[in-house]
Amino acid sequence: MAKMHGSSGRKGRMTIGDVAISAVLVLCALTILYPFYNAIMISIVPMHVYVRNPAILWPEEIVLDSYRFVLSYHAIWSGLKVTGIVTLAGTAYNMLLTVITAYVLTKTFPGKRLVQAMMIIPLYFGGGLVPYYLLIRDLGLIDSIWSMIVPTGLNYTYMLIVMRYIEGLPRELEEAAEIDGAGQVKKLFIIVLPMALPILATYTLYYAVDRWNEWWNGMLFIKSAEKQPLQLVLRNLVQDSTDASLDAQANGMTESYSDAIKMASIVITMVPILVLYPFLQRYFLSDLTQGAVKG
Amino acid sequence: MEQSNDFEVRTLKIRSQTLQAIYKNRVLYLLLLPTVTFYVIFKYIPIYGLQLSFKTFSYAKGISGSPWVGWKNFLFLFQQAAFWDALRNTIVISILRLLFSFPMPILLALLLNEIRGKVLKRSLQVVYTFPHFLSWVVLSGIVLNLFSSTGAVNSVLMNLGIGKVNFLLNGKAFRALLIYSGIWKEAGWSAILYAATITAVDTSLFEAALIDGANRWQKIRYIIWPELLPVVITMMIVRVGYLLDGGFDQVFNLYSSAVYSTSDILDTYIYRLTFQSNAGFGVSAAVGMFKGITNCALLLTANLIARMAGQKGIG
Repeated sequence: MAKMHGSSGRKGRMTIGDVAISAVLVLCALTILYPFYNAIMISIVPMHVYVRNPAILWPEEIVLDSYRFVLSYHAIWSGLKVTGIVTLAGTAYNMLLTVITAYVLTKTFPGKRLVQAMMIIPLYFGGGLVPYYLLIRDLGLIDSIWSMIVPTGLNYTYMLIVMRYIEGLPRELEEAAEIDGAGQVKKLFIIVLPMALPILATYTLYYAVDRWNEWWNGMLFIKSAEKQPLQLVLRNLVQDSTDASLDAQANGMTESYSDAIKMASIVITMVPILVLYPFLQRYFLSDLTQGAVKG
Repeated sequence: MEQSNDFEVRTLKIRSQTLQAIYKNRVLYLLLLPTVTFYVIFKYIPIYGLQLSFKTFSYAKGISGSPWVGWKNFLFLFQQAAFWDALRNTIVISILRLLFSFPMPILLALLLNEIRGKVLKRSLQVVYTFPHFLSWVVLSGIVLNLFSSTGAVNSVLMNLGIGKVNFLLNGKAFRALLIYSGIWKEAGWSAILYAATITAVDTSLFEAALIDGANRWQKIRYIIWPELLPVVITMMIVRVGYLLDGGFDQVFNLYSSAVYSTSDILDTYIYRLTFQSNAGFGVSAAVGMFKGITNCALLLTANLIARMAGQKGIG
């Protein structure tokens, strides 16, 4: 956001309107943040503090038993492993399809509009749950980690933005390579990809977040406990009304209780997103949104 | 005679030109092969599988071999009270989202544009977009805790003397919670598109308006809004095209049987029908078919209306 229209010509003079708008927006921001803050607080305070007042502003006492429990819970680790594999393999696969498709669609060739239509129609019409379930079953992917990777393919919106970026790159290098006799594959990997690196980095992260958040295919297709993705393990922990058993399991830990354990698992699942977030938000207000608007 | 000959030659020429172009671009087709294969398998085979809505599924015979039963699945479906509940809930929730969630990002983008401090503006955007990157599994965990009868929100309501609201079990309150938590997750993210559109507005217009002594409201009304409107309408059409999607991930991770009557949507109904009932896959496929066709019809209608009103529409 380079330009700020509001400021031109009125520099330095804050009106009541400006103050009011800032106040409203800051209040919104605090409302958005508080649920996360409260979740973190619950995960670190002992039970008696939480029961007295669940809206915690400041932790009077800190105990890390809940984290100790979650980190000793084997399902979290197996979930982490599965999600790790799904995220790495899935992101690589998603990016490969995205980059190749984006590059080809910057060219002109017979049937291009057909290919575009083929990709747009499924945005608005699909087979739905049952045909999808039977397809995965027929492909033999039930209880296979691949069921969380292969069906993800590519995200049309991401592909479109990468395509617009490649379209905007200077053509001279590509033309020079053509004269030197470089084919399409060579041009894509030697010339175009290095120039498109910033946008590729961004969308690699976006895909990584999407794969990290995987739970739906896992819930539908994964039967074995040790193949469940992290989000599904988390879902089972948060959703199932097995609070009592959770409490019993946590018995060894003096100050841990089901709500704190749930919040601790949530915080742990959020950590990678928090770590990536500075990189995720770096680009989305600059060039790529401009690209999206053009369409 | 001569004329038709000429025509044939020309057709042949065009055809050979096309073939030449195809041959010249053969590597491009080869590069597209994985993507096309992906689309055929994962997007179009399921559409072909929708024929199940007119069949009784038999595991032994598969989709193609299962016997046709005409409209039986649909007739069965239309007799289910739960189906009509789900349909009504989906429409009500979608309309509530259109009324309350849809304008939020627009409002947010307009207000953010008025912020002059660069650091403040950037920080606000960073906060607003954060929840978008988390799954509903994570967010529902937080929401369920926060709004439970012993959670933080109810403890504050008690202290304020308002009394407890059972957000998770009271149908009406749960719907409000769906709308509110939906805004929490996505408003900031959706605002980016509008913010980018506002940024792209010609700066000289603002300077001219300023010289003319336009106030904040006039600037928004007469300079920004005309530029924003086409984007708003496009987004509105797309949203109408998803009217029968009530937001599966969110509802599924937040709801319970206590609020089925107000918040069971078509997608959650399909899920339970498929995996937690013995209605048969044919009936679930019929709900899917009904949903898909209706959504498409709504999208095309909305697009048509927008075009008749002189707007660009989509595509």
